[in-house]
Amino acid sequence: MTSRREFLVLLATSTAAIATGKAMQVTSTDVDLSKYEWAMVVQVDKCTECVNKLLEKKGIKFDELSLDKQNELLRNLRPPCVEACDLANNVPRMPDNPRFDCYMIRIIAAKATEDASWRFFPLMCQECEHPACVEVCPTKASYKRPDGIVVVDLHRCIGCRYCMVACPYNARTFTFKDPLEDLKKINPEVPIRKDGVPMKCEFCRWLIDMERCEGVKNPKPVCVQVCPYNALVFGNLKDPNSEVSKIVRTSKVIRLRGGLGTDPKVFYHNL
Amino acid sequence: MVEFKKIDGRSNGYWLICGIFFALMIWGFYAWYLQLVYGHCVTGLSQRVPWGFGTAAICYTIGASAGSLIVSALSGVFGKTEFKFFSRSACVFALATIVAAMLSIMQDIGNPENALNVLMHYNPTSVFSWNSFLYSSYFVIGFVYLMAQFGEKYRITKALAVLAVAWAVLVHSGTGGIVGFVYSTDLYHSSLTIPMFIVSAIVSGLGLLIPIWLLTFKWTNRPLDRNLMWVLAKIMGALTILLLYCFAAEALDTAYIPGNAGAIHMALFDFRYPYAWDFWVIQVGGCLLTVLILLTPWGKTDWGMGIAGFIVAIAVYGERYSLITPGLGYPKDLVPGMIFRPFWIVPYYPSWVEYAEIIGLMSMACLVYCIGLKIFAILPERGEVEEE
Ligand code: SF4
Ligand code: SF4
Repeated sequence: MTSRREFLVLLATSTAAIATGKAMQVTSTDVDLSKYEWAMVVQVDKCTECVNKLLEKKGIKFDELSLDKQNELLRNLRPPCVEACDLANNVPRMPDNPRFDCYMIRIIAAKATEDASWRFFPLMCQECEHPACVEVCPTKASYKRPDGIVVVDLHRCIGCRYCMVACPYNARTFTFKDPLEDLKKINPEVPIRKDGVPMKCEFCRWLIDMERCEGVKNPKPVCVQVCPYNALVFGNLKDPNSEVSKIVRTSKVIRLRGGLGTDPKVFYHNL
Repeated sequence: MVEFKKIDGRSNGYWLICGIFFALMIWGFYAWYLQLVYGHCVTGLSQRVPWGFGTAAICYTIGASAGSLIVSALSGVFGKTEFKFFSRSACVFALATIVAAMLSIMQDIGNPENALNVLMHYNPTSVFSWNSFLYSSYFVIGFVYLMAQFGEKYRITKALAVLAVAWAVLVHSGTGGIVGFVYSTDLYHSSLTIPMFIVSAIVSGLGLLIPIWLLTFKWTNRPLDRNLMWVLAKIMGALTILLLYCFAAEALDTAYIPGNAGAIHMALFDFRYPYAWDFWVIQVGGCLLTVLILLTPWGKTDWGMGIAGFIVAIAVYGERYSLITPGLGYPKDLVPGMIFRPFWIVPYYPSWVEYAEIIGLMSMACLVYCIGLKIFAILPERGEVEEE
């Protein structure tokens, strides 16, 4: 049974969601999105430092854990970027239920050889230039905006999960049940999803669209804003003076699964 | 001239069979209802394995339909007039299974209320989009083909039979492409998938039709030429051998890439997960057993042919399952060339809801066939070739 309070919260949030939905429509036709090509650089050194500190605080030696424990730990690890993303984007987390647990950002650990030390970094939708998810979507519910952000139109999606299967990065999750059951707090700026649809990181487009329209020069997704190490750099690749352009131009960055030709807009520095 | 005649359909046995199929269908729809109310959490699926039994059911039912339509067209396309006995009933079964296939798509998707968007927002790069048009046009072509058969219009029937076979091949190629063209998963992306889909479609179509025909003719006390059945069983056996050959070629092709070693080892040899069991016991074991049965003298009896057909029909389902799920259960190579975590294999076991849904839909197809026998003249009075 829905309590009176829950009902009122729902009513308020849905009204706000409808209102912001309209606002987003207006703003996205207001400006020329093709001026932008949003991209992100993940500075893996800094992310590794952040996660190592977190583990240190908990007294955990990642290397000494069994494979299962490592998997479990990473699944439930919440550095500031993950924490903020979950809250801001209404991500229904289910730590006790890995089968249905939704996420937008995951923390990945990687190393080149057995005796190397682990490097940690976040993995989110890579906002591919040639997105497999868009290619396969039978309804064009997944589409690429002129600014390169790959978006899921929840009103059009049929929930076939073809995009999830096709995505080379497992960047999408599916709402196996009503997400409201697992949301502790609701952000009214972000539409609340129903069950039976996929979700993914969209570079907090609700936020960067809003900030851009308010005249903010360098709008940023929440993960970038909250990172205490400034490990995530976000900006417009079409602007040669943006920090992101400079890093991509001048340093060694790689893109994950580059051989597939998806050409992600998320670059990893020093991986 | 083959005389087709409706069955009486008044015996207790007839009503009992219809009743069983009806009850199973209701059970399937109840499972679907639960899924609609509670979401896909009532299935055995997970974030890592978002396609499973339901998706396998889509491929299977489309395959069985395409296979049945091809069998139905044997007389029209290849001039094998002796198979005209079966053309109408096979066509009805093909239409019933394509309806089951479309319903299984509705069952599988998370947002069925948006289903029409597939037709309204065509995406030319999506294999699924191609299929939405192929499936609906396939139904229309199959239906017109059936009507032409009822009208005994020889030339039109022949032309439609050719079109129906071409369309059935196209439809099932499209279905194979859904999995075969996905390049992000180690165990997907094989050019063999599409031809293999066609072969297994004919095998499963025959596998289902042979026992169905044997039982239909027996229970309606109509004579049936066992030699004709044996020819069909031999075609089924030969194609099953071809299928086994394709399994071996595909597995070797995938295994030859060093990067696929982990995935292929899990899919074929790691018996801690359901995938290797399915591959060896249901898929390969089922096909081998079918061939073995047909090679023995017993294989030529009604029981032998019927059981062989039934086993291979299940083996093809196993093939669909192992085409779809192990590739998802094994982690994608997110950071190529590096050791990475989280890294775990996700086993997928279908829930009772998923079993009920597919059993319900197949029962619905069989029920439609039974009712079809009563209201339309689709079964010949005598299933025997007249001596000249
Ligand atoms: S990472 Fe996956 S979901 Fe994101 S754009 Fe690329 S293919 Fe699509
Ligand atoms: S689940 Fe939705 S967004 Fe994904 S492919 Fe299907 S229709 Fe497109």
